[in-house]
Amino acid sequence: MNPDVANAIPRLVETGTLPPEKAATFVRVARRELVSIRLELRALLYAGVLLVTGGVGLLVKENLDRIGPAVIALAIGLAAAAALGWVWRVAPPFSWKQVPSPNLAFDYILLLGALLTAADLAYIEVQFTPLGASWPWHLLIVSILAGAAAVRFDSRVVFSLALATFAAWRGVSAARFGMDVLEASDDVVRWNALGCGVFFLLLGAGLKSNFRKAHFEPVAVNLGWLLVLGGLASGLGEESWALWTLALLATGAALAAGAFRYRRFPLFAYGVLGGYLALTRFIFTGDETLGCFWISTTSIFVIIGLVVAQRRMREPL
Amino acid sequence: MNPDAAQADRNAAVRRAARAWKKSGAIDEATLAAIETAYPDDRARVGPVFRALLFVFTLVAVSAAFGFIWAIVGTGVSEGDAFGALAVIFGIGLAVLTEVQTGALRRAQGGTEAATSFAALGYLLGALAWFLFEKGDASFRTGAPILFVAAAILCAAAAWRWGFPLYAGAFMAAVLMALAYAPGGRLLWIVLTLVAAPVFLRLSDAERFPPSHRMGFVAALLVALAGLYFAVHLGSFDLGAIELMGDGSWLKPASGSRSLRWLSVAATALIPLVLLVLGVRQRRRSLLLPGIAAAIASVITLHVYRDLGPAWLLLTAWGAVAIAGTLAVRRFLDSRPGKEWRGLTAEPLFEDLEKEGLIETAAAVVTLAPEARQPR
Repeated sequence: MNPDVANAIPRLVETGTLPPEKAATFVRVARRELVSIRLELRALLYAGVLLVTGGVGLLVKENLDRIGPAVIALAIGLAAAAALGWVWRVAPPFSWKQVPSPNLAFDYILLLGALLTAADLAYIEVQFTPLGASWPWHLLIVSILAGAAAVRFDSRVVFSLALATFAAWRGVSAARFGMDVLEASDDVVRWNALGCGVFFLLLGAGLKSNFRKAHFEPVAVNLGWLLVLGGLASGLGEESWALWTLALLATGAALAAGAFRYRRFPLFAYGVLGGYLALTRFIFTGDETLGCFWISTTSIFVIIGLVVAQRRMREPL
Repeated sequence: MNPDAAQADRNAAVRRAARAWKKSGAIDEATLAAIETAYPDDRARVGPVFRALLFVFTLVAVSAAFGFIWAIVGTGVSEGDAFGALAVIFGIGLAVLTEVQTGALRRAQGGTEAATSFAALGYLLGALAWFLFEKGDASFRTGAPILFVAAAILCAAAAWRWGFPLYAGAFMAAVLMALAYAPGGRLLWIVLTLVAAPVFLRLSDAERFPPSHRMGFVAALLVALAGLYFAVHLGSFDLGAIELMGDGSWLKPASGSRSLRWLSVAATALIPLVLLVLGVRQRRRSLLLPGIAAAIASVITLHVYRDLGPAWLLLTAWGAVAIAGTLAVRRFLDSRPGKEWRGLTAEPLFEDLEKEGLIETAAAVVTLAPEARQPR
């Protein structure tokens, strides 16, 4: 219940600001006479998908000997086909633009179908090894299939799954938004993270500039920048840290400037944090007292800069 | 909250509702502008991303300044004394700074005032802890209740004066923690939460309070309901989880009484149902959400106590129940006149669908992304 809004609505109607026919619904919502439980239903659907896929994962792990690999692969495949078949049946016609979901469950059943397909492919690969030593390629296949499904059925959630699976194919866990790269001792993971990040950025730019599923662009770009910055930051502890730090500083500054120009608030935040981290790495030499002094004084400058920047970013482009 | 801040808070609630109406296409730009003129906002506010950045950098700046001054001052005197004195000075100074920001500087939802208030409470409680445990040499069982009472007082004052709902929730949590040290702590938890929950529920609708205070009552209500469920929960009863805090006993039932244990069993099953029924009848999210959470916890408890079958089957079955149940509820609501039943609908009502979608996408990446292969 929101008494302030409920009280304001009749006044706005009296002054002619709000049309009475609209005000009736607004008042009902403000007085809690009409409440949407859509969010709760979506959360339950999401939890349902997580539980089913978790259960299928356990089934595969625990019952292999009892049921046999062929039966398990077939059962999961049938479940995935049932989910995707339903999605195919109710899906609206394809469009390169954003398409509203036909119903509440659509995105979640699609997600369930994609996850079951991925689980089935992974299981078949482990059991029957059709790809042999090239087993990680099944992740690429899943990524391509999920990407195709995301585009056909216009699902940003499945698109994010496609990108995350692609990153997993290259050895980078997108679940931690590239943070695992910071702990990696292996140069390969770092370069893979950078490569995936750049690829996602190019993909996002391509989607936007060609007006092909342009609303997928924020997913690709956000994940891309996180992987790029994470990859660069992972070099701060290396022997050649100065080069990595310089690269992180330049990238962070460029990202913040670009995001400021185009009013991209989350990207601005990534840029500021990345740049500040790099700058601090340059200055901080191990003296704790000096480090505290540096951080306390520069943080104040950053705060002032942020206050000014957010005012400027509120101005129209 | 001072009267100016309270009025700004009320105006902000109307502006927020108007922006939601505009976003859903219910009103046009001109109507939104007219509403914003009628309900002006004199506060300096920032969006969520900048708010998070400013919060983080303010906390970093304050902590680093504390570390720097402690390092300098601490060389002449004992480190502990320097810490205690400095924490008191920082705590009071930051509280004053928060007061200036929310008062003269008219900041609200700006990140910095939230950070200074948070740090102020942290330093003041840190100073008290140092005084109790280092200077006073108090045992944990003597000092902890005092610390929790102090935390409750500070959090209540902060929630009331600065209007941060989080502190209202922290107040309730601190009160419960303090009561755990009293004799009959579990009973006190049950009695207090049973008395407090209806009061918080009523106050969360009270027109005389500004929206931030009403949200604070909701936060306190949620903690009270969690406390009630925890106090009557069968697992907590069997393990003596509340008694552990009070007298240190562990892994023995809170009471040997069989009838009390059966009451605990009944309450573990009934509380989720009561919350769900009340939530539906009163159309309150603040009861529905804890009801759902408690129901999930009770189902898990049932599986812990009774072997109902293999885990994979249970997970799959409960997942299927969740999906089928949700679809059934949706279909039922859609079939009713106006797509609503007792004031509940599955249709969106002026919600930010774009923001919801992005949060969902981020959640999918975190929870569903496959494990990375080993690089070669």
